[in-house]
Amino acid sequence: MRPGKKESLLRKTTIAIFIAFTLTVPLMANRALAHKVNVFAWVEGDTVFVEGYYGGKKKAQNSLVEVFDEAGVKLLEGRTNEKGEFSFEPTEKTELRIVLTAGMGHKNDFVLPASAFGGAILSQSSPSPELQPSKTDFTAATIDPHQLEEMIDKALDQKLAPVIKLISDTRRGGPKLTEIIGGIGYIFGLFGVALYFSNRKKKERGQRSEVRGQQNADSK
Amino acid sequence: MHISEGVLSAPVLITGAALTVAGVAVGLKKMDNERIPQVAVLTSAFFVASLIRIPLGPSAVHLVLNGLLGLVLGWSAFPAILVGVALQGLIFQFGGLTTLGINTFIMAAPAILCYYIFARGISHRNSGVAMALAFGCGFVAILTSALLLAASLIFTGESFLEAAKLLVVAHLPVMVLEGLVAAFCLAFLMKVKPELLGATHATG
Repeated sequence: MRPGKKESLLRKTTIAIFIAFTLTVPLMANRALAHKVNVFAWVEGDTVFVEGYYGGKKKAQNSLVEVFDEAGVKLLEGRTNEKGEFSFEPTEKTELRIVLTAGMGHKNDFVLPASAFGGAILSQSSPSPELQPSKTDFTAATIDPHQLEEMIDKALDQKLAPVIKLISDTRRGGPKLTEIIGGIGYIFGLFGVALYFSNRKKKERGQRSEVRGQQNADSK
Repeated sequence: MHISEGVLSAPVLITGAALTVAGVAVGLKKMDNERIPQVAVLTSAFFVASLIRIPLGPSAVHLVLNGLLGLVLGWSAFPAILVGVALQGLIFQFGGLTTLGINTFIMAAPAILCYYIFARGISHRNSGVAMALAFGCGFVAILTSALLLAASLIFTGESFLEAAKLLVVAHLPVMVLEGLVAAFCLAFLMKVKPELLGATHATG
């Protein structure tokens, strides 16, 4: 009687542990702990900031960052610091492709469109001297449009910084619960279909052999 | 354990894909109709396991459960892992389409290896020995996967020894955890459905 009791207790605890394990998986997964390296880049003033991170809060430290222009020519490279960040001042304000290689086979890229540099292109490319404001007639109406643009850009950069941070934070959200459950659904569906076809094949084979058996009996 | 797209050169990718096709073909041929639901259950376990990240180590590592799959499924682990990796790629963006073959091979080949090394002794009457074997199965599967991953990175400029050292150290906690998970699952199966384990060994 005793060993049987002991065994059933052991059996119950094993089942309990197993159930607890399967139940905690989606809960843990909900905390967005993905296994993939991500890159995000944004512009502040003349500087481009690059951030590399795995799912969740884990930063991609000391990872190789390479910057390519539209034509695929490598412009520069560097490594992320202990915060997973890297910054540089681009020489030309075109579309940039930023590739992060984090080692152990992890790699990802981010395309920073030329529009991310905003009005900076205008204010840099044409510093026409005749438009410089003369000190004599400095009124609101004659304020240099380039200077104004620069001021607005600066103000916008400051105002948008938290928004950009927010976007970068939301992008790092890992797999959602719906995606996980959807994936499991796919697997069961797929194997269900496999089972259906293999059963049908079996049935057909069974019927065929039955028919053959009857033919054999008839011929006899 | 998932290599991103654009890291490996074409020969490595093609070799990985070819080996995976061969492995999946063998796995499908050996798969019994009655075992399809079981393969489905373990595939979904594999699919979710990669979401359990282990915070230790220099990089992001996660559970793989390939040792457990090899232990219970034998050759069917190949199609199971292929489906799991494909869905992880599609839904979570782990790995990628071009690396599907090599990623599957990196995780499935150790499963088969462990099946041959450990699974045969599992029907041992002494449950302590069986659990120790299951632990070894989970442990060695991850170790071999880490070494295979390091080997496939050779041609990318990372030196094999360096990458292997890094990967093995990073996966040490995973190896221990996987060993424990495999041992627990085995204990569970032996208590509840011992015929599931027996079936593998009869066909294998």
